[in-house]
Amino acid sequence: MKLYKKEGNIVQILSFPNETVEKGDYLLIEDADAGKALIVQVIDVQFASIPGILEELLRSLPDGGELMQGEDFDPLEIAPHITYIQDAKLNICKIRATVENEGLSPSSSWLPSRSQSAIRKLPIPTLLKLAKIDGKLPIVLGGTKDSSFLTIDASSLDGKLNIITGKKETGKSHLSKLLMLNLIRYKVTVVVFDLNGEYVSLGMTADGKRNAYYNKIHVLTPSQNFKIALKQLDLHVLLSILIHALHLPGTSAREFRRIWQSLKERGSLALRELGEAIRNWRCNQHVRDALFSRYYALVNSGFFTDNVAEAMLLEECLFKAREEGGAIIINLRNTSAIDRQIVVEYLLGKFVELLTSWKLKAIFLFAEEAHLYLRETYWDDIVTRMRHFGIFTTFITNQPDTIRQNIYRQADNIFLFNFTNEHDLEVVSRAARVDAETVKSIAVDLPPHYCLVLGKVVKDFPMVAKVKALDVKTMGETRLFFKDMN
Amino acid sequence: MVIEQYTITTTPKYNFPHLIDTTLPQRLIELSLHSLKHVQNPPFQLNQQTFQQANSLEDHIQTLQPKLQPIPLKPKPQETMVAAVDTSSIKIGETSTGILIAVRGANVWKQNKSYRYIRLGPFLFHITEENKKEVYNALRRAYFNSPHEHDRQSSPNLLQMPTRIANLLERWLQKMFSKTISNGLILFDGSLTSGIADTPTQRMTEILTTARKRNNVVLAFSKMTSLRFNGYLITDVLLKYKPPYMLEMTGLKPKPPIVLLGDVYVARLTKGNYAFRLDIDKEVSHEHRIEAVEKLLGTDLFSQSYPETLRLAHILCTFTANEVIAMQHFIAHRYGLKIINRPDMHRLLFGPFGKGERRS
Repeated sequence: MKLYKKEGNIVQILSFPNETVEKGDYLLIEDADAGKALIVQVIDVQFASIPGILEELLRSLPDGGELMQGEDFDPLEIAPHITYIQDAKLNICKIRATVENEGLSPSSSWLPSRSQSAIRKLPIPTLLKLAKIDGKLPIVLGGTKDSSFLTIDASSLDGKLNIITGKKETGKSHLSKLLMLNLIRYKVTVVVFDLNGEYVSLGMTADGKRNAYYNKIHVLTPSQNFKIALKQLDLHVLLSILIHALHLPGTSAREFRRIWQSLKERGSLALRELGEAIRNWRCNQHVRDALFSRYYALVNSGFFTDNVAEAMLLEECLFKAREEGGAIIINLRNTSAIDRQIVVEYLLGKFVELLTSWKLKAIFLFAEEAHLYLRETYWDDIVTRMRHFGIFTTFITNQPDTIRQNIYRQADNIFLFNFTNEHDLEVVSRAARVDAETVKSIAVDLPPHYCLVLGKVVKDFPMVAKVKALDVKTMGETRLFFKDMN
Repeated sequence: MVIEQYTITTTPKYNFPHLIDTTLPQRLIELSLHSLKHVQNPPFQLNQQTFQQANSLEDHIQTLQPKLQPIPLKPKPQETMVAAVDTSSIKIGETSTGILIAVRGANVWKQNKSYRYIRLGPFLFHITEENKKEVYNALRRAYFNSPHEHDRQSSPNLLQMPTRIANLLERWLQKMFSKTISNGLILFDGSLTSGIADTPTQRMTEILTTARKRNNVVLAFSKMTSLRFNGYLITDVLLKYKPPYMLEMTGLKPKPPIVLLGDVYVARLTKGNYAFRLDIDKEVSHEHRIEAVEKLLGTDLFSQSYPETLRLAHILCTFTANEVIAMQHFIAHRYGLKIINRPDMHRLLFGPFGKGERRS
């Protein structure tokens, strides 16, 4: 390989057919005289611009587009040299770091010698060692191209905002499950907003037996085994539900606040009493109607109960998970859009309450397709305010444009699966820890289950890994009509 | 000096035509390897130059006169083999003692509506003042099949060598076609003028005679000509006739030893302003000449008045820049030559006003 050109932080390297270089590979450009080396990553592989190549190709197809039949008598065997030159590749590489005195620095202010530099492939294990991407809490994400494991440190997810994105059926949920189960191993409390009921069987192996996580996976299905009593609710949480999920106008909210305080003073915070209070409250008829419609929405959700014993499971599960690690799966599969918002509003309020009072240390929240249940104002809340309380979110989506731009800007880690749509890649490439060229070039060619890992978990050395298989009942497969027929 | 023999043999037979005499390629390989063997160690200068086979013979030809009436042509779609020969040479570099050149030839033929080819080469030579005579005479001997013939003649100068060696290969390829094809049309690139060192009249006559015996007609197309009529190039004299037609040129009186083995025509075979000098074997009767061109029109494809078979032969033997790089790569790897870039003195002295040595 030969160093050909440098423009900005892009280096062009010429390679020949016997030197296999692929997108995502790391190369080391060593300049022995300078005592330094440049670590670059291949973001695109192109044909080298060889003079006369067009004539060469045109000549091979002169017979009306058909390959012309003939014999070449080439006694000196120059033809292999011609193909050798023709197949020369130009590798477009992004400078990632400089190695000097066995240490890494992000500097790219120097230029290695074009004539004297030695260029070789940098094996991923060597790079991981150089970049110190390991740590005491390893999570094996999967295998890299050179048959080594890509291991990240669980602490690099701690306090971070993560995004897992990619088009359908590329393995996003699979990766989120892998991260989640590994976090549980390190006694982390994980909460999953499970939109499609994909996570409910994580305590089982693929063949239906109980696995090591069985006792740590707690599935809560709203209005079934997950209910809340009005007595447990703080007024501001309920007002949040009424205002944000049920769109209660401000005037009506003020009346509701009075009703609530009245009931609380009387010690009769119950669904029936609430209904009666609204009916008998002296207020404008429109306000009453508005309050009644929201009241019935709450009642019909089935999520609220007057039986406090029925409504203890969430805290029990959270405290259990606090001790030995575990995941609380909020199964939103059969929950309507409004009810989903009610549940999520309640949960986020509850988490903040528990975290503020230090009843919980931190929660790792995995939110699938969050735009379907997260109100507008919560996005900023989650990535700024709630992060300080200890809610560390991982968003999982196949529609990257549903996540706000400022979320991308603040994302610490991005796990990117294949996208072919340029618009989607454009959205993702706005993330602060990512350079647009890398995202656009590498993500387009990722096969299913291959993930481009970007951000702090890989110390800003973008790496491609095939996500490790899991022996759990994943339930993430799409239901197929023709499956049994085949 | 005895030239070392190498254990490399040429392909014993080709798919088509059945070339029986492999003397010249064998000798080309031997000489090529031998000359390259003596080029080890010195650095070589990247410098490529394609040689046009200039038709300097025309300088010796006196003023000519066109016949007033053109010969109208009618395409005859009759199954006839059309075969064409062309060669190419290129200087791919310089060493401190000489030049590195590459030569390649192509035979293309059209049969059953499809084109086929045999391409010979590239043959690489390191030509120095010391070995140029040996290389050239050895090749001529191989071509002429007579051990000492013409050895007395002086070898060309160094810069003429690429063209001369290419010419030798071209004659040999023409000879192969004339010996193997029958009832066909053989297209040559250039004219049928002979009488100089690499186009001896006797050998050219032999080629034409052999071709005629096998009922072939040789048609030679010149891409460029310097023959003029009334001060204009003969190919620029476009009559107001509907093509295809030919216009016979008379009154050509070449100075000895130049001999015209063909009669000269201006052929305008398709619509458009393109016309070419066309030489047709003198010994072929007038009717057969017309019939041959009409068969060519009916058999081959034509683009801008030029036959496709000959165009393909030219395309196949021409060196592309990619091939030149590959040959330089071959020489650098096989013979350990270090490639250097000698500064272009024109550029160095005159900056942007320096046209470069190659164009000087």
